[in-house]
Amino acid sequence: MSHDHHHGHNPPAPMVDEVSDFEALEIAVRELCIEKGLFTADDHRKFTEFAEHIGPTPAARMVAKAWLDPEYRKLCLTDSLTACKAVGVDLLNPTGFGTPSDYTDVRVLEDTPTLHHVVVCTLCSCYPRPILGFQPEWYRTPNYRRRLVRWPRQVLAEFGLVLPSEVEIRVEDSNQKCRFIVMPVRPAGTEGWTEDQLTEIVTRDCLIGVALPKPGMTSNIKLPVHKAAKPAH
Amino acid sequence: MAELNTTAPIDDLVAEAANWTPVSLLEQIKEQGRTWVDLAVDYGVTNPDPPWKTSLDGMCEVLAAGTCSSMAAVEKGWLAGDTDRSTLEGAPPLPLLERRWEEDALSETLYQDVPYPERQLLALVHSLIKRGLVKEEDLAARMKQVHERLAAE
Repeated sequence: MSHDHHHGHNPPAPMVDEVSDFEALEIAVRELCIEKGLFTADDHRKFTEFAEHIGPTPAARMVAKAWLDPEYRKLCLTDSLTACKAVGVDLLNPTGFGTPSDYTDVRVLEDTPTLHHVVVCTLCSCYPRPILGFQPEWYRTPNYRRRLVRWPRQVLAEFGLVLPSEVEIRVEDSNQKCRFIVMPVRPAGTEGWTEDQLTEIVTRDCLIGVALPKPGMTSNIKLPVHKAAKPAH
Repeated sequence: MAELNTTAPIDDLVAEAANWTPVSLLEQIKEQGRTWVDLAVDYGVTNPDPPWKTSLDGMCEVLAAGTCSSMAAVEKGWLAGDTDRSTLEGAPPLPLLERRWEEDALSETLYQDVPYPERQLLALVHSLIKRGLVKEEDLAARMKQVHERLAAE
């Protein structure tokens, strides 16, 4: 008797079937560090699990909620720690076990039609990871960090964000203890939207300030990373 | 906005990094290692990051964690040019600002043609070797074992 084996199973997702030297190097250096007592396997596991679980959704949801609820918007601006708790993140204890990136202040920067904020960390790449996940590569580069504070309008234009001259641009520099997210102006064409729908268009790039939210735009820009052509001075 | 210090140590570090002795093992990996950008294309995988990325991030964080009562004091010392942490109890093996600035310097010199996050990994290992926290020969031997171990699975 013949059987029909086509039961509608999806083919397995492709996977990389070789171990690169980089993968082997990461494993090797980690094992040696543990053996030498630089850190414990348990501590490393905790930090790695934290890295795996964070993303931009909490921050996006804060903005979406603020657009829908004037009282929550006020809370974001006056008591950001409580506002973060409303989206499930306790900034005073973000990991449950501590991290050198622990900090106690996240500020929400509210845009207006004539004021646009954008965030940077000139010293390294401080970023509000518990609510925004990991920073993109371009945010970490000296190219972005040195140039944004000097030529913000030009750097934003490289991201495709060209702002009229009457819009003031304010660059906020993050540090070890204080991080920022941007609350953009709610775009036209989102009347009657639910919180979930609004959350989807508040992308990571919007929360840093290098993009504006738009109906239909739910992904971040893919930017090639270049070394700065102009010297910093 | 506060005045930017345009003669910050990072510029000195970048200038200094141009003369850092390359680490042979890392140069070999740089030349011959297959990066995620290429592997993902070859195997049709859409994940933007390699599977070891979060482990690398975990390692960077845990190396910067310490029992020092004030992490700010460690970073402040580094910015002022004081890199001696021998008197600071519980100081971390590789504080964040040092590691990031060395990564910046190496990303503009020795590892400028390496994509991210492989560049971050090479810079981290370079910083560890430079400080004597791991040895190049130990790493080479362990990498060989790792390759053999994983090939046997």
